[in-house]
Amino acid sequence: MIEVKNLWHIYEGRKIALKDVSLTIENEILALVGPNGSGKTTLAKHLNGLLKPTKGDVIVDGINTKEASVAELSRIVGYVFQNPEHMFFEENVFKEVAFGPKNLGLSKDEIEKRVEWALRSVNLKGYEDRSPYSLSGGEKQRLAIACMLAMNPKYLILDEPTTGLDAKSAESVKEVIRKLKEKGHGIMLITHDMELVLELAERVVLLYEGIKVFDGTINEFFQLDLRNYDLDKPELLKISERLSVGFVRNINEFVTSLLRRMRA
Amino acid sequence: MMYNLYVERDSILHRLDPRVKILSSLLGILAMILFNSPYLLFILFTLLSLSLRFLGKISFKEQIKVLKPLTPLIIITIAIWPFILEPKTFGLFIGLGYALRLASMAMITFGLLMTTTQRELILGFIKLKMPYEIGLTLTIALRYIPTLFNLAQTIIDAQKSRGLELEKGNFFSKIKKTVPVLIPLIIASIKTAHELSIALESRAFGANKKRTFLYTIEMKGKDYIALIIVFLLFGLALYARYQLGIGYVKLY
Ligand SMILES: Nc1ncnc2c1ncn2[C@@H]1O[C@H](COP(=O)(O)OP(=O)(O)O)[C@@H](O)[C@H]1O
Ligand SMILES: [Mg+2]
Repeated sequence: MIEVKNLWHIYEGRKIALKDVSLTIENEILALVGPNGSGKTTLAKHLNGLLKPTKGDVIVDGINTKEASVAELSRIVGYVFQNPEHMFFEENVFKEVAFGPKNLGLSKDEIEKRVEWALRSVNLKGYEDRSPYSLSGGEKQRLAIACMLAMNPKYLILDEPTTGLDAKSAESVKEVIRKLKEKGHGIMLITHDMELVLELAERVVLLYEGIKVFDGTINEFFQLDLRNYDLDKPELLKISERLSVGFVRNINEFVTSLLRRMRA
Repeated sequence: MMYNLYVERDSILHRLDPRVKILSSLLGILAMILFNSPYLLFILFTLLSLSLRFLGKISFKEQIKVLKPLTPLIIITIAIWPFILEPKTFGLFIGLGYALRLASMAMITFGLLMTTTQRELILGFIKLKMPYEIGLTLTIALRYIPTLFNLAQTIIDAQKSRGLELEKGNFFSKIKKTVPVLIPLIIASIKTAHELSIALESRAFGANKKRTFLYTIEMKGKDYIALIIVFLLFGLALYARYQLGIGYVKLY
């Protein structure tokens, strides 16, 4: 469990980015949403120790981040940055994924096992010899996830994992996220893509100007008037509301409810 | 995140013709190369800083702020000379001089950019029959520095999240550890440069050899006077260096 307790963060130059935020993260898909500049990245960077609290505490599986290095925390919390290219530097995919486990000081055998397992988890088996920069957008994103998975973290933070991807690539990334959830990883999705939230999230935390204004189930979340927070409802939900078919999460559910309603 | 060094002020330096400022800067930088005596370079640096303060209304605080990113370079310059010259204290002394020279040259360049708008600067380069690409390149490069800093920070954070410990290890392992940071940084910079070149070309940059101008500049009495003073000062520097032998320390 990750516990964020009364967290404040004030950047140099006195920008208050987080105001008294508290929340817990367990083995679930949690969506962290909010408009640009609301403090999502600032909050996420506290979970693996990249930022330390100005006030308050962040406890990761019993470890206070103030007393641990980023390297130590990287075994527990994997942070996949928004732009995967910001981390690629090796000549091939295998070496790229092996970089993290190598930093953990694992044996050669164990590193190979981890790389193989991580690549399989993100459906990139057979890409070992390709250059990371030669991959497509969706493949790059999945490779970035594999790089973190190879360190075997319990929690994964994904910053805007589908932004800028075409529909098919985005679907391949979503599939990987669902798979990871099944395997028992706790996942924090940072996004302002409400469609993605609707499809994947179980719980939603909404930040607005550095304040946690909502923390609840996905169903409750979409009952908020999102326009107050510069966000918009997914089209699917708008249509289903108009047709009063109730809360649905994807097209299949929508069609099923609609048919049921029409029969009734 | 666009960035411009120009600071809006009403000062003598701000009102000077850009051509005068560009020529003076070039001569100033040349003058710095003439001397290597730390004493003299210290005096020149002080004079430079004072004239920026009183002729350009650029406060000392602002001057320090633009020079701050050069700190690592300045420290390396000071630290490297004791390894080159014997005795070590003499090396350190000369290193200090070179650091001051570096800081002065930077201060001249920044001084020019802080007191001249980009439009004037480019116009000045063209009217001097110099390739105006120089002015454009300079301003673009400078305003990307903060963007580059932020990018480097993001990349460092990303690699730290993969267990990279930049602080640990001896000198050589630390250098090796910069590779995971430098490669993505270089690739991202090249991409940015490429995008920028497309942006410039799509605005027909370089299509016409002869440019037309919306604004123009004109030399006035004060500009000629300033130019004469600068040339006299430069002549004085040459005289001091070659006739009087001031300000040069034999190294070997
Ligand atoms: N390094 C920094 N220094 C100063 N202010 C920052 C820094 N990083 C972010 N901020 C500010 O903190 C606020 C929250 O930023 P951020 O956490 O990046 O928001 P989000 O990820 O939700 O877009 C913004 O107002 C931003 O300008
Ligand atoms: Mg962000």
